[in-house]
Amino acid sequence: MNPESPLLHAKHVFRAAILLLAVLIAMVLGRSLFVPDTWGEFGPYRGAAVAEFRDKPVRHGGDDACGVCHEEEFAEHAAGVHAPVRCELCHGPVALHADLEEGEVLAEMPIHRSDELCELCHRRLEARPAAFPQIDVREHVVSNGGELTADACFDCHDPHSPI
Amino acid sequence: MAAQDNHRKLPSGAMSRRDFLSRSGSAVAGGMVIALILPEDSSAGTSGADYDWNRHRWVYLIDTSKCIGCGSCVRACRAENSVPEKMYRTWVERYEIPMEGEAYVDSPDGSEHGFDPVANGLSVGKGFFVPKLCNHCRATPCIQVCPVGASFATRDGVVLVDPEHCIGCGYCVQACPFGSRFINPETHTADKCTLCYHRITKGMKTACVEICPVGARRVGDRENPDDPVIEILATRRVEVLQPELLTRPQCFYLGLDMEVR
Repeated sequence: MNPESPLLHAKHVFRAAILLLAVLIAMVLGRSLFVPDTWGEFGPYRGAAVAEFRDKPVRHGGDDACGVCHEEEFAEHAAGVHAPVRCELCHGPVALHADLEEGEVLAEMPIHRSDELCELCHRRLEARPAAFPQIDVREHVVSNGGELTADACFDCHDPHSPI
Repeated sequence: MAAQDNHRKLPSGAMSRRDFLSRSGSAVAGGMVIALILPEDSSAGTSGADYDWNRHRWVYLIDTSKCIGCGSCVRACRAENSVPEKMYRTWVERYEIPMEGEAYVDSPDGSEHGFDPVANGLSVGKGFFVPKLCNHCRATPCIQVCPVGASFATRDGVVLVDPEHCIGCGYCVQACPFGSRFINPETHTADKCTLCYHRITKGMKTACVEICPVGARRVGDRENPDDPVIEILATRRVEVLQPELLTRPQCFYLGLDMEVR
């Protein structure tokens, strides 16, 4: 090699430059590997997460979803004192029963015919607002001459439109 | 000229070190610039949807004088959001405060199966139920402590945890003064109320609000001038839980008592 070559004495500069380059490449590579694509889209978090939360399936459809097929029950319920009580409160989410988007029935809707269901709201409790109708089921059934069974409430009351 | 000669001795098709360095150097520098520039901001918040999160600001209102403690909200929340058993994104507490002595507070199974009468023989001076959930604070401690940026607040005011990014360290669970977060035993990541983000962004109510039979729970939108909830916030005396912590909760209460924390 020509001893006059300026490259001869620049070798250490190239070595340092290569090292720096390796660090830069590692950084860029590391960033692309470990930082999610949508990071920082809206702030210091993964932007795609927002859409993922939005796209989660809706399971409670509201009374209108039930009324599409069950017109009779819907009308009876809407006219009674239980109108503010959503169908899905007692029956469970409509998603158990029907696919709202496809409009097809998936399974029978579970029906909970038990005094315990009524008692969730109407069992007498000190902490409940006094104006809210509440009873001691045993006392109520016995004093009205009924038979104390697991579904005694339904002997007299239609849950869709009680009283 | 000597260097130039040296240069020409390289095999044909090969690149000199200088060329390589200068070319790859600029390529890497270009790549760096691209990698460091953040993608352009979008106002929609999500792809191809008509919901604009800059036009909403969600708040929550609970009227404790209406709550009957039926636990329907807790069951609806679990069903809507597939919340694992024994974990609660919302729950209802019962307060029974006797004329004399200590307040009695309980929340059996988060009130999921309702409440049984208390048989402690004390005469209750006042009793009420207090539904609880994430307060979606504006100045949240839970987001601040997250070491990886998995906890964040959306522009419309909802505090969320990205389960893809969460490492399950549990710092946020400890940081929340309201006990609103837990580690999901199935995903091993932090979990919490999402204010049913998948519902409110589609114009629906949250599952707990939808199911509440007495209207004790309501969700409101500060950006909607006709929202009845916002009118209540403007005209009634509302409180928040633990205001002394300055977390600026966005969950407001009517009829709280000094015993409630």
